[in-house]
Amino acid sequence: MKPAPFAFERPRDLAALLGRLAEAEGPAKLIAGGQSLGPMLNLRLVEPGLVIDITGIPELRAARLDGGTLVLGACVTHADIEDGRVPDVTGGAMARVASAIAYRPVRNRGTVGGSLVHADPAADWVTALTALSAEVEIAGRSGRRRLALEDFVTGALDVALEPGEVLAAVRVPALPPSAAWGYVKHCAKLGEFAHAIGAVRIDAAAGTGRAVIGAIERAPLLIADARPLFGGRIGADFAGAFDPAAAEAALRAAGMADAVDRHVHVTVLARAVAQAARPSAGPAPTATGRLSEAA
Amino acid sequence: MSALSAETILDEPMPVGLTVNGRAVRVRVEPRTHLGDLVRDHLDLTGTHLGCEHGVCGACTVLLDGEPARACLTFAGSCEGASVTTIEGLDADEIAGELRTAFNREHALQCGYCTPGMLVAARDLVLRLPEPDERRIRAGLSGNLCRCTGYVGIVRAVRGVIADRRARGIPARGAGAERGLGPVGARLGAAAAARTPLATAGAASAAAGAAPALAQVDELATDFRPAQSFAQDFTVSHPPEAVFALFGDVAAVAACLPGAVLTARPAPDRVEGGLEVRIGPIKALFRGRARIERDEAARSGRILGAGSDAGGRSATEGEIRYRVGPGEAPGSARVELAVGYTLKGPLAQFGRPGLVRDLAGRLTAEFARNLEARLSGRAAPATAPGLNPLRLLLDLVRARWAAWRGRP
Repeated sequence: MKPAPFAFERPRDLAALLGRLAEAEGPAKLIAGGQSLGPMLNLRLVEPGLVIDITGIPELRAARLDGGTLVLGACVTHADIEDGRVPDVTGGAMARVASAIAYRPVRNRGTVGGSLVHADPAADWVTALTALSAEVEIAGRSGRRRLALEDFVTGALDVALEPGEVLAAVRVPALPPSAAWGYVKHCAKLGEFAHAIGAVRIDAAAGTGRAVIGAIERAPLLIADARPLFGGRIGADFAGAFDPAAAEAALRAAGMADAVDRHVHVTVLARAVAQAARPSAGPAPTATGRLSEAA
Repeated sequence: MSALSAETILDEPMPVGLTVNGRAVRVRVEPRTHLGDLVRDHLDLTGTHLGCEHGVCGACTVLLDGEPARACLTFAGSCEGASVTTIEGLDADEIAGELRTAFNREHALQCGYCTPGMLVAARDLVLRLPEPDERRIRAGLSGNLCRCTGYVGIVRAVRGVIADRRARGIPARGAGAERGLGPVGARLGAAAAARTPLATAGAASAAAGAAPALAQVDELATDFRPAQSFAQDFTVSHPPEAVFALFGDVAAVAACLPGAVLTARPAPDRVEGGLEVRIGPIKALFRGRARIERDEAARSGRILGAGSDAGGRSATEGEIRYRVGPGEAPGSARVELAVGYTLKGPLAQFGRPGLVRDLAGRLTAEFARNLEARLSGRAAPATAPGLNPLRLLLDLVRARWAAWRGRP
């Protein structure tokens, strides 16, 4: 369980990193907190010749507000978000998602940018931030570009980064006070990767909604206009109008052939809808299994 | 550059400076050394235990800049300048002392293997939890596995310490607003300790990618029963007979499969070759053999193959059954694929059938585009190397190392 040999570098700023990526000949792999790449290296599933640690780059470890939008550097950790060391523009929604990712020692080093680039379909941020309409900011030698997160994540473990590009920041628009948020993941054991994730962002006053079904072993299924899930109209009574058959049909159309899988995902999405309908934002997402069974 | 010299350079130790248990140390370690090996092998601090070495079991949990972190997932160069506290450094720590007493009292350990990590995690809970809430304690300890004692005594011990300290008027710590953003232990702007010549990375990959030995598959099983199976289909705007005819041209089919290489054709119905599979950062090169069967009358066929990856650690067997029929539009063809495969070895431990289907779907789409181009007399569009549907054939590799984080 030891990695294959690699060379290791730690550039001090973004320009140095981009320059290094441009000149590196062989396979170079960026590492931030290492909570996803570390296991792959230790298991020798990945054997890069060069590992470049990006956590020394100040710009990637900053958070700021740009108007109402939260801009998180790629190396901001889950614990930073959980503990409120970054501004909150989502009424605590992001902090609750962060607090249920893996375990505290993992959250102390695992980063939001690393999680998105790794794009494990069962991880939390790819689904939660898609539901929050987040964008990623990508830096390359020729400049910067932005992509909606749903366009960035192209498949399981696959993202739209070109060679030489780096995910520099994540931009999360503010969740308006009128918007309701629900996020539920199903795990058999606390802290493990989810078997199903449902996320909904519903603005009943505006009659709009956005739903994401995650942990489906491909890019999350985004239903950008969620009205069909609620009988064609989203109102204050949206929870009662939730139509499991519509969600089931969407999953079937997305290629989920197993009826049991569809049932689990539809159930978890329904729980997210129910959570959004409660006046308070609801409890932090935790394993839906019973904790008392862990003894 | 030869593989040998590359390895020499990659293995070359680099200096790392740390403060460990209050003492400044400077060691020279290979870049691949993680913090757990650094403290155990170079500083003789063997109280930090290594269990799973992929972040699941929690045995190696140490304090990095005062916060718990996995030593096995923290490479030495990433924490240059950091302050590390191992279990040995907690001898005089007040909370750790109270926890040790409570662990004794509650019989919270037997073999003790998980105990160092358990104490570090428990100490963090004592600092952060405002109340001795059993549910939150259990959630907080869920990243530390005990396989002999059970958690009842451990939870009782942690609860007791929290209750006692709160009763003594010692509050929980705040959220740590003074802490900077980013991974604990990572210093801003610190330059790399190990700057290596530019060519090493490429040379290393050349070494790693050396052609593996051909899988020894003397006779492909005729009664193959796949462990996993799924179906795909696609449409091509050419008549079924043209599509089926092209499927009879093994070289043409291989050309439509980026990443596939034919190396030999020992018999009309036998091929040997390789296939590079890429899933995210994971790359695997499979070499193997396949047998091809065709039924002209039914315009169907079967490809049965077997192979193994570099080093022969993982082996796979798979089949693709295809049938070419008329498409909905006149003059078009619909190709139905039924894919079945079995994967054995380390990669199988990561294998997630759904991930294979996701990849296969993308690969099938690319294969269909290339097929369309070829039938139209155009060159196949350039595609990224490594994507490829023959992969359907050997299909396998879905590395899902990650799921382990939760599935010990």
